[in-house]
Amino acid sequence: MKRLLVAFVVLFASAAAHAADQDLLKRAKSEGKASFYANITAVEPIIKAFSTDTGVKAEYTRISTTKFVATAITEFEAGKFMADVVQGPLPVLELLKGKGMLASYRSPAAAGYPAWTRKDDRIQLFGIEYIAVIYNKEIVKSADAPKRYEDLADPKWRDKIVMPNPTNHATTIGWLVGLREHVFKSEAAWRKFLAGLAANRPMFVASLGPTPAPIESGEKPIGISMPKYIVTKAPAPLDWARVSQPMLGTPRAIGVASKAPHPNAARLFVDYWLSKKSMEMLAKDVGEYVLAPGVHPPIDGISKAKVIAIRELPDEEIQKWGAEFKKIFAVK
Amino acid sequence: MDPSRSKLTFSLILIVGVLTVGPVVMLVLGSFSEGLTAFGQFTLDKYVEAYTDPALLDVIVNTTVFVLGSSLLSTILALFLAYLNNRTDIPFKFLFRILSIVPMMIPHLLFSVSWALLLNPSNGMINLVLKNALGLESAPFNVYSLWGMILVEGLLDLPIAYLIIAPAMASFDVALEESSRVFGAGTWRTLVRVTLPVLRPAILAAFILGVVRSLASFAVPSVIGMPGRVYVLATHLYQMIATGFATDYGKAAAVGMSVLAASVTLIFVYRALTAESEKYVTISSRGYRPTVVELKAARLPLFLVVATLSFAMAVLPVAVLFYTSLVPYSMVPSARAFSMMGLKHWTAVLTDPLSLLSLKNSLFLGVAGATLGVALSIFVAYVIVKVKTRAAGILESLSFLSFSFPGIVIGVGFMWFFVQTPLYATLWALLIGYIATYLPYGIRPLASAFVQVHSHLEESSHVCGAGALTTMRRIIIPLLVPGIVSAWILMATMFVRELTLSVVLSRPGTEVLAIQILRFADDGLWGKLSALGIIMIGISTSLVLIATLVGARFRPVQSAE
Repeated sequence: MKRLLVAFVVLFASAAAHAADQDLLKRAKSEGKASFYANITAVEPIIKAFSTDTGVKAEYTRISTTKFVATAITEFEAGKFMADVVQGPLPVLELLKGKGMLASYRSPAAAGYPAWTRKDDRIQLFGIEYIAVIYNKEIVKSADAPKRYEDLADPKWRDKIVMPNPTNHATTIGWLVGLREHVFKSEAAWRKFLAGLAANRPMFVASLGPTPAPIESGEKPIGISMPKYIVTKAPAPLDWARVSQPMLGTPRAIGVASKAPHPNAARLFVDYWLSKKSMEMLAKDVGEYVLAPGVHPPIDGISKAKVIAIRELPDEEIQKWGAEFKKIFAVK
Repeated sequence: MDPSRSKLTFSLILIVGVLTVGPVVMLVLGSFSEGLTAFGQFTLDKYVEAYTDPALLDVIVNTTVFVLGSSLLSTILALFLAYLNNRTDIPFKFLFRILSIVPMMIPHLLFSVSWALLLNPSNGMINLVLKNALGLESAPFNVYSLWGMILVEGLLDLPIAYLIIAPAMASFDVALEESSRVFGAGTWRTLVRVTLPVLRPAILAAFILGVVRSLASFAVPSVIGMPGRVYVLATHLYQMIATGFATDYGKAAAVGMSVLAASVTLIFVYRALTAESEKYVTISSRGYRPTVVELKAARLPLFLVVATLSFAMAVLPVAVLFYTSLVPYSMVPSARAFSMMGLKHWTAVLTDPLSLLSLKNSLFLGVAGATLGVALSIFVAYVIVKVKTRAAGILESLSFLSFSFPGIVIGVGFMWFFVQTPLYATLWALLIGYIATYLPYGIRPLASAFVQVHSHLEESSHVCGAGALTTMRRIIIPLLVPGIVSAWILMATMFVRELTLSVVLSRPGTEVLAIQILRFADDGLWGKLSALGIIMIGISTSLVLIATLVGARFRPVQSAE
């Protein structure tokens, strides 16, 4: 009898959820489209699948991280914020939340995600912009690749490293600070690592985007870059160094805009985005590290790697560390 | 003053003012406002923080060397090429004319990346070849340096200088040079004492435009300067505001105000240096016919020099791009690389709906924008040159307003401005923004062409009973054809590859080529980036060819030759 009751409750709940889903879909359809402001790359397949599966059009506006907050706030204050859904690094969404630009929405699709990914009822984390030591496997033998981050300070890598500029690239600054907090045992050990890395005279580029090209061409055989390029740049001879310590990265977040012109389409889009299907596409096609349980990018060994989301650094702290790294890396 | 001229001047001040003042006012407001937008509580903090930065002094020194070096390089090379292509019997002139403007068509980001692939000290192709050929221990060149930046920026700005100097060179009155020879001066002395001084307005205009452009340039400082840790104003501004997630463009605008002041000063210096414009008249009512200087024994060596130069600045970077578009990933050329070539990136780009939409939008903006822009520039250039009042001076400064701002700032100025209007997020916002920002590209070649047309011609037309518009249509415009062609080419090629404004103003449906290229760059997809870059160059080359051929048909000089 008890079992029957449980089965009935489950059935009723799923029927109610299904009805709610159908209701949301109906209302979203009547709104016509969902506008998505994001800085994540190569997500067109998900946008297309959303339109095909739901019959609601999705429009993707890609805004680079440096222009994201300025653009969103300018539009919001002029009453022209056209986004229904916003996606960006967690610190960006926190800034928007502070301005009252995010609505509260708990997506049922995130139910299976780890508890820490639900920052609050306005921001949901779905991935980590993970950074790793990437090398050219035709030039560097896997046996010679770093086994620990400290190995990057080995003089054998002098003039052979490329990395985003640690004096102003926020994600890289966050990553270096993350190493201090999660990887190195002491402040002295971390500073010794930084001094060694600086002594190896890494070549600086503006962001993570330009890091893989010099590695694959052999201009710089090793670099601080992202494993996702192993997928997006295949068949380039890229591999990631299996360091014994965890990988780190800035969390990627998504939320519904508080003044969304299409609020139901916005919710439908967030549900779709967080679904296993979308996250699998993100992992498989773009090599992203996603937080949906059991979904991993098709990169050898990544499913066993430990990836930690770094703490959210306020801008003042990023600038403080940027100035510190300027001294350490002796950049004028 | 003639009342119709004064009415024209004030109407133009109004039109150009509406186009250029809005975004600059927004930037001024933003630089004095707390927060991240144009409107906030008054503060001077942004100025104090921006100007007390201890790194600023070094940055100013680097910037000065970079800007003067690249402008000098581009002006000298442009003068050299324009003289040979227009005044001498050097072979393959038509080809060299097109090659001289190719760097204008290549997105600056791609041009810089190509040079990094050629001259980087680790495995740059030219360095590898020289190391092997000469048995050197280390690479002879390092592009990641101040001189590398000057070289690449100089080559990028060369077409601007060329397109300003070439029309002036083309409508040169041979009588001046003949008189010089009659008095016993040789070719060289005539060139230095007569030809160059008469071309002073064009040369100065080219140099000043180069200065303003390289001050605003971001691609070269970012791709070439940053790896060499050479920081100039543009990269300094970027570092200053973009360290963190809440980018404060108001602070960059605070520094931008000094750049604006420097540019406006330059315009006034230019006006003072070319004030006695009668001195530069080369087309008067006496009739004129530019003659061809025979190079004789120097023909072959000079041909080789021009061919090498064209090869380095146009053929080589385009070849690198073409190669990159065929190999599966960034590879140094080798037998293996050639065996792996394929059309994967081309297929991907040509079947990508967003790339095709951006192609359509950019083509529209290039053709419509340049046509409207040149139409406006003809009137503005006429007033600047022929109406010598204070109002004309104001008009000239106004036309430089948006153009003078560092690239990373002006786009945001336009966003702050357009968001207050119904044009926001439309293709029209891009069209207006493009014309407003790049007006000097239309005005400068036309102004240096106007300088050479004597007012007697207009006066004769008036005496014969023609009105101002008829005189413009029947007398002035036909004489201006080389200038019009140059202006149209400069604007159209600029608009086809425009990034600065587009990156801020483009929205779904209004994507343009440069945005698509930037997306590929952000994702590190150099193959697709190069394929789309080549398509972009192809479109621009077609536009240049059409403009040149149409121009040649209407050029009155042709019938005299």
